Amino acid sequence: MAYKNQEGLVLIIDDEETIRDGCRQVLEKSGYDVITTGEGSEGIRIARERKPALVFVDLNLPGMSGLEVIDILLAEIPHVVLVVITGYASIVSAVESMKRGAYDYLPKPFTPDQLRAVTKRGLDHHALVVEAERLRAAQEEMAKDFITFVSHEMRSPLVTVQQSLESLKVVTEDCLSDEANQIIERCERRIRNLEDLVEHWLNIRQIEEGTLIRDKGILNIADILLCSIEDITPLCERRGIVLESDIPEGLPPITGDRESLVRVFVNIIGNATKYTPAGGTISVRAQHDDYHVHVAISDTGRGIPKDKIPFIFEPFYRVKERGEHIEGSGLGLTFCKRIMDAHGGKIEVSSEEGRGTTFSLRFPR
Amino acid sequence: MVKKRKILLIDDDRDFLMATKLILEKNGFEVLTAENGKTGVDTIRSAGPDLAIVDMMMETWGEGFSVISEVRAMEGKQDLPLIILSGVDLQGPYQSFEPSEQFPKVDLILHKPVKADDLIKHVKALLR
Repeated sequence: MAYKNQEGLVLIIDDEETIRDGCRQVLEKSGYDVITTGEGSEGIRIARERKPALVFVDLNLPGMSGLEVIDILLAEIPHVVLVVITGYASIVSAVESMKRGAYDYLPKPFTPDQLRAVTKRGLDHHALVVEAERLRAAQEEMAKDFITFVSHEMRSPLVTVQQSLESLKVVTEDCLSDEANQIIERCERRIRNLEDLVEHWLNIRQIEEGTLIRDKGILNIADILLCSIEDITPLCERRGIVLESDIPEGLPPITGDRESLVRVFVNIIGNATKYTPAGGTISVRAQHDDYHVHVAISDTGRGIPKDKIPFIFEPFYRVKERGEHIEGSGLGLTFCKRIMDAHGGKIEVSSEEGRGTTFSLRFPR
Repeated sequence: MVKKRKILLIDDDRDFLMATKLILEKNGFEVLTAENGKTGVDTIRSAGPDLAIVDMMMETWGEGFSVISEVRAMEGKQDLPLIILSGVDLQGPYQSFEPSEQFPKVDLILHKPVKADDLIKHVKALLR
């Protein structure tokens, strides 16, 4: 098979003119595109420009050594396949060059058949490497689109179900029994949970891709905390939980993404409301030292059993009693942990069963 | 009897369309529906609704935009009250739609799902 295109380009770097010309004749006769040079540095220049698929490198070059040439070519030319040409005495350096990433070697003297066989094998290998890379890239692209696609495809029906429930309430003109209304309410609540799940899932994916937190700015953490507290206060009031805060003035600024941090705090405080009985207290305290800004969110809830603490940041892990339903996506704390990681921060939890739980967050100054 | 005000809903999600239609009808409006942009534009031309609600994210992102541009280019429709419904966006489901400066004039942007009370309140205000 002939390689008449750029993909099949063969470069020969050898200081012996007879070898260069001999190889060129043999390979061109077999239909390959061939370029030759007697110098390592010239070979690198040509390779940068023409991006050959296969390069034969003589290990005993004047000036730059063959091994150096190999290192540079492998680092700079994508998917290039290298074959070293060696004298009988230099089998050791052939082994060394294979270790560095050369694909094959061709000991001198060699016959035209040997040269053709090695060339074909090298170019076949190159085609495989290129194909594998193409597939990998396509798969990555698909995985990315898949998440976006699925979250869209999941959310559209959710929105329609929500709108339909809304219309059901209107159509029945509030003449439904309390029981029927409770059924609608339960449906609405579970749909919201599912929406949260889709959102968190997508967010976690975005964090992994590095696309969620793009714009970090200088932030006033007191501001973020107050905003989060304002957001969650109605929920605490509904559940009869006291939300208190101790946020001193003059906290040093931190660097980060405001919106995701608000969501971290809302998430953690919201989480605390699920495990704290009415009449309990959730407190938000902030302080700083020379290196960090610390935020602690404590509740007087039922606490987390010691053996479960190591798992609480794991996706879909929930601390619950048998048969109990706890609302939420199961990804909230995983989301918080990833966001904190992305901020170079730390999130830890300490808890005493029956007494309460404290989440400690630490941000670098 | 007072003539009912006519509202056109343009959305390619038939179930969503039906839900929103019921909410509006129950509140005394006459409701026309269109399941794609082209039918929507034709209906505006032929049936002359008093207000149109357009889904931004139909089959393609451009479709809602095309509808609004076309309507605004129609004679006598520069001031037709237009509401955009957005919320489901392929760029990321939770990115809300924000029109750029070149975007043709719309009166209101609402996000899906929309509460019945909110929808009725806004529609009434725009028809006043």
